[in-house]
Amino acid sequence: MLSVLSYGRLVARAVIGGLSQTDSRDYSLVTASCGFGKDVRRGVLKKGMCYGDDACFIARHRSADVLGVADGVGGWRDYGVDPSQFSATLMKTCERLVKEGRFVPSSPVGVLTASYYELLQNKVPLLGSSTACIVILDRQSHQLHTANLGDSGFLVVRGGEVVHRSDEQQHYFNTPFQLSIAPPEAEGAVLSDSPDAADSSSFDVQLGDIILTATDGLFDNMPDYMILQELKKLKNTNYESVQQTARSIAEQAHVLAYDPNYMSPFAQYACDNGLNVRGGKPDDITVLLSIVAEYTD
Amino acid sequence: MLTLLSMFYYICLRRRSRSGTRGEALTSRRAVESGQRAVLPVSVEVKQYAKEVLDFSSHYGSENSMSYTMWNLAGVPNVYPSSGDFTQTAVFRAYGTWWEQCASAPLPFRRTPNDFYSQDYIELGFEEPVYPTAVEVFETYYPGAIVQILACSHNPLSQNPPTDVRWEVLWSGEPNKAPTPQARQFSPKIKHINFPTNLLRLEVNSSFLDYYTELDAVILRGVKERPMLALYKMPLIDISDLSDSEEELSDIGAPFKQGGDGKHQKTGNGYFDKLPYELIQLILSHLTLPDLCRLAQTCKLLHQHCCDPLQYTQLSLQPYWARLSDASLGHLQSRCTLLQRLNLSWAGNRGALTLTGFSSFMNACGLSLVCLEMSCCHFLNEACVEVISQTCPSLQELNLSSCDRLHPQAFTHISKLTHLRRLVLYRTKIEQTAILSILTFCTELRHLNLGSCVRIEDYDVVASMLAARCRSLCSLDLWRCRNLTDRGLTELVSGCRLLEELDLGWCPTLQSSTGCFQQLARSLPRLRKLFLTANRTICDSDVEELAACCPSLQHLDILGTRLVSLASLKKLLQSCPRLVLLDVSFCSQLDTRVVQELSGLFPKVAIKKSFTQ
Repeated sequence: MLSVLSYGRLVARAVIGGLSQTDSRDYSLVTASCGFGKDVRRGVLKKGMCYGDDACFIARHRSADVLGVADGVGGWRDYGVDPSQFSATLMKTCERLVKEGRFVPSSPVGVLTASYYELLQNKVPLLGSSTACIVILDRQSHQLHTANLGDSGFLVVRGGEVVHRSDEQQHYFNTPFQLSIAPPEAEGAVLSDSPDAADSSSFDVQLGDIILTATDGLFDNMPDYMILQELKKLKNTNYESVQQTARSIAEQAHVLAYDPNYMSPFAQYACDNGLNVRGGKPDDITVLLSIVAEYTD
Repeated sequence: MLTLLSMFYYICLRRRSRSGTRGEALTSRRAVESGQRAVLPVSVEVKQYAKEVLDFSSHYGSENSMSYTMWNLAGVPNVYPSSGDFTQTAVFRAYGTWWEQCASAPLPFRRTPNDFYSQDYIELGFEEPVYPTAVEVFETYYPGAIVQILACSHNPLSQNPPTDVRWEVLWSGEPNKAPTPQARQFSPKIKHINFPTNLLRLEVNSSFLDYYTELDAVILRGVKERPMLALYKMPLIDISDLSDSEEELSDIGAPFKQGGDGKHQKTGNGYFDKLPYELIQLILSHLTLPDLCRLAQTCKLLHQHCCDPLQYTQLSLQPYWARLSDASLGHLQSRCTLLQRLNLSWAGNRGALTLTGFSSFMNACGLSLVCLEMSCCHFLNEACVEVISQTCPSLQELNLSSCDRLHPQAFTHISKLTHLRRLVLYRTKIEQTAILSILTFCTELRHLNLGSCVRIEDYDVVASMLAARCRSLCSLDLWRCRNLTDRGLTELVSGCRLLEELDLGWCPTLQSSTGCFQQLARSLPRLRKLFLTANRTICDSDVEELAACCPSLQHLDILGTRLVSLASLKKLLQSCPRLVLLDVSFCSQLDTRVVQELSGLFPKVAIKKSFTQ
């Protein structure tokens, strides 16, 4: 008797679940960040959300959750410019744009464009360049909108498998697409890509989807299967669990980066292109780990 | 016995603790007595940050930007308590007296009241209307500019059109400057008013400040219920609060009472009858407009004097913007037939002035009008501008600064004003065809302001047209014109040789490597003001060329370039003895030590070096 009732309940639930295609609940992203600067000493001095020359931001708005990472191009150091200034200011400006609602959830390229424009409006003459990756979750439509310029990127994991990923944008080896502001005397010589050059994509997400946004410090040192292994340990949508998983991923990547014998994805790619190298790639690592959950105020 | 005493004390203590704050107890007891639920205490203070910036007269930043723009004044502070020149603050377009020293500055109007200091304003909307108890302004850089705080009875968030709009001055003071440029919270003692408000207006005057003032946030504190003690705290009624000028202006229409019939009319005006007409006119020319209107009601002789059109050749209604209406213009109409200069700036918003009243006034008084200031007049529409073009054939000066709601089509009518010498279109929506049409027909232009005119598509074409048609151009403001290139600039300076003032601040497409700035210096020997703010390409050769070719230079702004060194600046300061303003903020080769050295060598020059901390 009881089993009939419980069976009936299961069937009813399945039917109703199947019928209600539209889920009217608002979604949100529970996000945690972790990272390591390449030069640990420098990384510690910076205020939060900056790891070496990398920077990131997490922002909430009534209509959307937005996050982003930016990898400052280190080559500027040779010319007396602090590479972390550009990426940090870019990310802080994106955060401010989102908080003030000066953005459209379906256009992360718009966020990048507006932020880049604001950098040029600063009285202080900013110099430098960075990659950028922006991810926006539209709460109501349950869509994830992304824009990626350069070799940072994101993964979307559902049921233990990667269902979406970004593509790397490189001009040539180790020279990613980048937003930049150059001094006038070097204007022709410095690579400067327009925010419009970013790859954008939009797709639906479901509750429980995991989104990993990171700079190349992670992807060059940790292949997908290792990342997925770590993500399996994420069981619920608590902030603490997300934070713990993000930390373990970042730490593992950090360790692998300094392993001289490990065949990292970076080394693999180099070998495929004729360069005989082994080992990890010491680099700034920034990891933003998010899980799609229900929106609570 | 002891138990009785202890019970007694216990009861007393309980009673005392139960009473709490007396007000609270009173209201709750009253509520209980009247059988209602207990209500909140009467004096619950609500603290609000500004929700929205509704209107303002100018700002430093770009339209569509969040850097140095007025929209930053809404919301919580972004910078305070830090001090410094930050992007997240609200900054006005000008400061000090530098702009008043320029040839492009309009002449001041006569009869400006001594207590009217305001140069710029910003209007803020808050969420809930309250009876204000305090207003706090977070000033984060060079404070001291605020001269007036006003409250409005209209709720800007409501959908209803404004009716019976009243403005009340909460506080007013003189412009000054704070002893240091550091951040402060400015909270003057405000007057209590008898209506709830959620619309505040701040008016500023930065003329004493050493650099741009920057504001971060505004707090409005108030109570929802009308404070009962307010009646007792009301200050003695100020004579200037009584019957505003509008009443006087409206009383003018009323027929003047004659004392009996003509036969028995006394000519008892005493010594006034012996004074020459012109002398009384001279005396009256020193009165402010409200006083003039009040004086007109005293006797027939003075009524005749006060309504003489010769007293109204210049009329500034800007100090009375809050109280001006169609009716006021109607009553002034008969006296303004000889009007030459009219200032209606800031007036007429929220339905106070309409096309009907305005066109009636212009039809009556526009014939001899030479100067018309209509900055921030949001009641203006295309029809009004058409009226101006039809009724003011001799107009030489027209100021439509910040009339940003004016439709682009309206500007086409300005080309009919062929005698125009000064035209200010700062922050308007004028488009390419309209400005080219104006430049084709208004060939006598001496002063043109196209600052932040974002709808103009190709500034090179505009520059070319100026060079061809407006050869007597004396000052040109192209602040933030986004696509002027060296081609346009070179054409401009080759055609307009009489240029004395040129503002090319924040024009990103001008490159020094093309030699356009050196060409500029060589072509404009009369140059007195040059702003090259945030042009990151300005270099030593440009400064040296200016030193060699422009000895009359007075104001120079080269903010934000990394390529200018101490040596070339020294040359400039030696060759330009009249230089009084030099802005080298954010020039990386010129740190504070260098600036101090220069200031020591050239004490007459105000060398500006802004900072972010």
